[in-house]
Amino acid sequence: MQDLYAVLGVPPEAPEEEIRQAYRAAARRLHPDVNAHPGAASQFREIAAAYNVLSDPKERARYDAKRAELLPQRPYFTIKVMPSSRIIPVLDENQVLYLLVELVPDPTITATHTPLNLTLVIDRSTSMNGVRLERTKMAAHRLIDQLSAKDVLSVIAFSDRAEVLVSAAPLTDKNAAKVLVTTVQAGGGTEIYQGLQAAYEQNCRYAGKNFANHIILITDGRTYGDEQDSIALAERCAAEGIGISAMGIGEEWNDVFLDRLASTTGGSSYYINSPSVVQRFLEERLRSLGQAVAERVTLSLAPDPDIIVENAFRLAPSAQPLSCETDPILIGQVLMRLNTAVILTLQLPPIAEEGRRSLLRIVASGDIVWNNHTSYQVVADVSTEVMKHPPAEEKPRAILDALSKLTLHRIQQKATEAAAQGDIRKATRLLETVATRLLESGQTELASIAMAEARRIASTRAISDEGHKALKYGTRRLLLPSGE
Amino acid sequence: MKICPYCMHSNREGVLFCEECGQMLYTEHTEQRAASLTKELPAGMGDLSAKGGWGTARFNRSASIVLQIRDHPSLIEIVPQQETIIGRYDGSNSSVPTVDLAPYGAYENGVSRIHAAIRRGEDTLMLVDLGSTNGTYLNGQRLIPNQPRVLRDGDEVRFGKLVCYIHFKINS
Repeated sequence: MQDLYAVLGVPPEAPEEEIRQAYRAAARRLHPDVNAHPGAASQFREIAAAYNVLSDPKERARYDAKRAELLPQRPYFTIKVMPSSRIIPVLDENQVLYLLVELVPDPTITATHTPLNLTLVIDRSTSMNGVRLERTKMAAHRLIDQLSAKDVLSVIAFSDRAEVLVSAAPLTDKNAAKVLVTTVQAGGGTEIYQGLQAAYEQNCRYAGKNFANHIILITDGRTYGDEQDSIALAERCAAEGIGISAMGIGEEWNDVFLDRLASTTGGSSYYINSPSVVQRFLEERLRSLGQAVAERVTLSLAPDPDIIVENAFRLAPSAQPLSCETDPILIGQVLMRLNTAVILTLQLPPIAEEGRRSLLRIVASGDIVWNNHTSYQVVADVSTEVMKHPPAEEKPRAILDALSKLTLHRIQQKATEAAAQGDIRKATRLLETVATRLLESGQTELASIAMAEARRIASTRAISDEGHKALKYGTRRLLLPSGE
Repeated sequence: MKICPYCMHSNREGVLFCEECGQMLYTEHTEQRAASLTKELPAGMGDLSAKGGWGTARFNRSASIVLQIRDHPSLIEIVPQQETIIGRYDGSNSSVPTVDLAPYGAYENGVSRIHAAIRRGEDTLMLVDLGSTNGTYLNGQRLIPNQPRVLRDGDEVRFGKLVCYIHFKINS
């Protein structure tokens, strides 16, 4: 159930003429003939559908009659967009503008009780033997303790093949589930696809609009040859509304792969440097899963035809790069009392004229599981003022803070790329830059890791797996609201 | 096009942090701000810049400092002791600064409990960082801990992320 007036961006009492004008303006920007962006196509379809109803007086009257009861009294969440500059200059070259997009939950929502449909996938390959597997089992036990009888749980253990330890069912017998988890023995290789495949099948048995569907993968190894199949499976999960979170223990696992797995589904990936913190990460994940105001939240971006969305990065609830090639972008959940924040980097073309200029239209959509409201939507149409000589303005602190840390994270990634390409001088210089910036922001521990890697790379010509992951996930963690 | 002054990388207009080295390219408009703020000072202090003069380092015995905290309406007047400690009082007795910045958002802005000190010299004032976590910046340059630097009228001092402007108030 959408608010058709919001889709067209007109007030409910708008006269026919205004509705027609709003539709025409949208068509000039977003019609597939003028705008090739996939987000524009899908948004224009919705606008056209809304116009079809509202432009017909009879249909409009029918819609108006039922509108009041179908829309929530208070918005579940609202959208807030802050640009890095309120006024941009007239310029004969490309320029960059940053947008901080926040989804703000209704502050009066304090309890949601979204039942979980959770699948835990445990790597039991030989390398997990010992403290890693024991800690993981303990963490799984704690997880089972914290779930309620309304929640659905399934548990998979995998090596080079997968076995279903606990089949998906409401968790009525916690002790039985715990005993089954205890029986897991280490042995065999690591084939993540096997584990995910079984997890997908189990999760699908209950996956639906009434649950928060999630797969949590805990692994310490690199999977070989089945990455493509795994990503394809993650795409199927995303289509079914199942999120994947990946936790990598130790240094051997493939971070690029796990990141992609998670961001494909709007989930999160974590680096766990010591087995003793598996439990903390798992609890953190579980807590946020149970506190969602909205599930399966997506952002659809329809930039004006001449604007490019270069980059999207989720800052909160957890920091994660987002893939902005597909539409819509999956961003996971909107949690209670916490703004979900995404920072977008836009490239604007040369602009010759002063005045108001539209930039992009954003539609955020999510399922309000606890209140049986699917596909709840909010729309923001973002525009900016263009002037020949814009007055000096202070940049918003929130954007500066986020960008300084995000830039750090990117430079660290560039260093990794340079090292991989064998450009040792560049990698060293970039790592030293990272160290300097970290030191400036008081992150002495991360700074010394960066310095050590900069020295190390000169002799070994490669960044250590451990240092790489510590820096990558360390700089990403800096982005969290608490700064932890 | 904006050339990064640190690594000479050319960035597109609007880029706030150099895409090559991460240096902040955007400079806050501190000079304009400081100048406009002096106009807002209460009437009794209106003539302070005329007596001291912008940029002067001369600071005589009877003078005091007015500390203007950015985005905050009130002014703090300090009569410098031999050593005036600036920091954030957190309620414990272990470390009590002479000037407590806690009411001005010190915690959020990363001001240490014992952050910096203003020391009296012969006819000058010196600013010294006391090994703070997030650093002390004089006109944008980070101070090396425990190395005093001369403080001048109109200077911008940053404690962590808390930006202050220093005005000398020379009493005749």
